[in-house]
Amino acid sequence: MPVPVDVIPRRPTLLLIVVLSLLFVLMSLSSRTSYVGETRTMFERSVMTIFAPVPKTVNWVGSTAADMYHGYLDMRRSVKENLELRRKVDQLTTENLRLRQGEGDMRRLRSLLSYSEQFTMPTSMAEAIMLDLSSRFKSIVVDRGSSTGVDVDDAVVNANGLIGRVVLTTKDMAKVQLITDSNASVGVLIERTRRQGVLRGDGGGGAQLFDIPSLADVRPGDRIISAGIDGIYPKGIPVGVVTKAEKGQDLFKTIAVKPTVDFGSIEEVIVLHTRKVPGQIARYTP
Amino acid sequence: MRWLRFAVGLIIALTLHSLLNSFFPNALAFFNPYVILVVYYSMGGNVFGAIIAGVVAGLVQDAFSGAIFGLHAFSLTVCAYAVAYVNSRLSLRGTVAFGACLIGAVIANELVIYILVNILLKQKIQFFEQGMIFKAFFTCLFGMLVYQLLTLFLREEPIEATRRPAGW
Repeated sequence: MPVPVDVIPRRPTLLLIVVLSLLFVLMSLSSRTSYVGETRTMFERSVMTIFAPVPKTVNWVGSTAADMYHGYLDMRRSVKENLELRRKVDQLTTENLRLRQGEGDMRRLRSLLSYSEQFTMPTSMAEAIMLDLSSRFKSIVVDRGSSTGVDVDDAVVNANGLIGRVVLTTKDMAKVQLITDSNASVGVLIERTRRQGVLRGDGGGGAQLFDIPSLADVRPGDRIISAGIDGIYPKGIPVGVVTKAEKGQDLFKTIAVKPTVDFGSIEEVIVLHTRKVPGQIARYTP
Repeated sequence: MRWLRFAVGLIIALTLHSLLNSFFPNALAFFNPYVILVVYYSMGGNVFGAIIAGVVAGLVQDAFSGAIFGLHAFSLTVCAYAVAYVNSRLSLRGTVAFGACLIGAVIANELVIYILVNILLKQKIQFFEQGMIFKAFFTCLFGMLVYQLLTLFLREEPIEATRRPAGW
């Protein structure tokens, strides 16, 4: 509806004076009140209420944009951190494996070392670098040779028991015939009864005990140790366990022995530099 | 239509005010978007409309700033009246003229505020001269840019370009 012309001041200057006077009054009222909360004038509150959506919207947009931006930054940081953590996990996993391996090695070597300390003869540690368990001739190759004092007929053991004897040496390596080789034989005794016999490899994974009379007391589970009568192996080294003892066709029993050493998992070994029986004594016949 | 455009301008000025308040609180000491709006509106030469625009814009500024309610309304009304009065006689147009009007308006605005604060609160505004110079410079710079953009892209002269007589 158009404003009646009479109501509008004739001169804008007059309008200006009126408006300024009103504003001055408004200011005077405002300046006398405290500028906190409810004490604001009603007029001011009305203006604020009308225009409040604008700053609210601006704030909302601003905070949303800031949140999104920070979210994006956080996400980027998280992705970077995630990659770094993954890399670290890989690194730690590798390190953990290495340490476990080291711990296993240490435990094994420690037991081997403590085992080697019980021998009075000189010993040297060696590592198996080749295993030949597939053929009938069972052997391993170790990384110590004549340069470190390894000699033919030196006994080779580990913490579990007897492994075999050195049959060939080079400067840096030695070949060891396992007691399960069909050509290997060891003078042994049954720990419980002290009955002596000869253990021979069966060419498979086990061995057989010979020269035990049919009347001898042998039971499955009896422990077999080296007898120290063959001039190669010292006495008292665990060799195996009787798994089967039957009456044979002749005067002797048929006895199967399972070696105490798991030849498939040989890593470190001890070479015993045994004192050899001189040839003329070994071959002497009265 | 011109009041609608003024309302849109006022919302934009308030938005700027809120944005600056939120992100660069000190920026409002060097820049006054309401002066740009009021001067732009008053450049049309309609004194009556300019007075109303000055009052409304000033009250909105007062409502959302910590000043005495009515302080900016008073000062902006004076500025709007002065600019409209001058334009009703000289019909100033162009970016440079707009910039000159803005500088004058900012100085007048600051002076009025200074005097009113002195009278009503018996206080002196610190760094008044420096503040006024900075405010005049940056407001003029931004205002001229806005004016140029409006002229270029909207092919628009200041609101109320069709000049009316100084009085009724």
